[in-house]
Amino acid sequence: MLLFGLDLDYVAIVALFGIGLYMLVAKSNLLKKLLGLNVMETSVFAFLVTAGMVEGGDPPILVAGTGAPFASPIPHAMVLTGIVVAVSVTAVALALIVQIHAHYGTIEVDELKELP
Amino acid sequence: MRGWAWLLALAVALPLVVGVAGLPPHDAPDAPIHTHVGARYLERGVEETGMKNLVTAVLLNYRGFDTFIEVVVIFTALAAVLALPRGAVRPASRRRTEDGRGTGDPGAADPDAPAGANAGRLADVDGEVPVSPVVGFVVRLLAPFMALFAIAMLFRGHVTPGGGFQAAAVFAAIFIALGLVMGRARVGRLVSGRAQPWLQAAGPLAFAAVAWAGWRLTGHFLGYPMHDHTAQEAMALVLEVAIGVGGGVILARLFLSMET
Repeated sequence: MLLFGLDLDYVAIVALFGIGLYMLVAKSNLLKKLLGLNVMETSVFAFLVTAGMVEGGDPPILVAGTGAPFASPIPHAMVLTGIVVAVSVTAVALALIVQIHAHYGTIEVDELKELP
Repeated sequence: MRGWAWLLALAVALPLVVGVAGLPPHDAPDAPIHTHVGARYLERGVEETGMKNLVTAVLLNYRGFDTFIEVVVIFTALAAVLALPRGAVRPASRRRTEDGRGTGDPGAADPDAPAGANAGRLADVDGEVPVSPVVGFVVRLLAPFMALFAIAMLFRGHVTPGGGFQAAAVFAAIFIALGLVMGRARVGRLVSGRAQPWLQAAGPLAFAAVAWAGWRLTGHFLGYPMHDHTAQEAMALVLEVAIGVGGGVILARLFLSMET
């Protein structure tokens, strides 16, 4: 769908990216920052998968019942890799946030800055 | 500065909008993503890799290096999480209890627990909120069927949607759901302590083994013998099972080791 010559799907994905970036910068809570990072990651995955789709395309599994045109398999494989990396980043960040909470009793950046 | 965050988001988003405006429409069949190497994969992928699911073919065969490093990444993430000190005692001067946030820290309860005694420490957070018997029953009832579904995805991943990583996610979901209703400590003990490091390292180890086998068979690191479909399927199956089981154990362990 086009709006002023722009692909609306892509515009929505960029909007999602901007929302994630806003959360990452504007929020003081470390967990919310991490959520923002995940929103940004999701927008990138959505971008790649959207770019790989084709009008009326079937999933790229060449068995009986599917036929050309097929969606491109490369973005799917790349997004699978990206999701695993995103999970890894999230896990390490969460573990660090747990440590910060255990040490300082808060995960608000504002309060962490004021600590002696 | 934080008040201006929306301006920063806008400043990043606007050039991106200009960027995506220059892309071909997302469903055009003549976009480079469909005419470049993707077209060749679709044309000859089944013949070259013996896998009908071309996403799996790209993942394990054409872009196997990517996936090798990917399993190393998630293994490293687990290593990093497990390497963090557990139950570290906060310095008393920095303890913030006036707002209630600093209370309820199980780490302060047993400061002299040895660093490796995870299982005992996990038990501390269990049982704080009683689980509804309905939820507990349904989760335990569904767990075997979830396992069956995960195994089906694992072994049919080369011809149907699914594969190692998807199966890993379902395996981990079983452990997490059971951990919520049965207590993390009990679920943590389901896999024996001695087998766990090997299962956690299953992905990188299997990739290394298959890469070596490919090198012996074809002369290339992680090479697949192109016309021997039996060998190809065996190599792919080893990788899928290792990714599924290893990934599932890693994800479950990541969840079980998160505690506040």
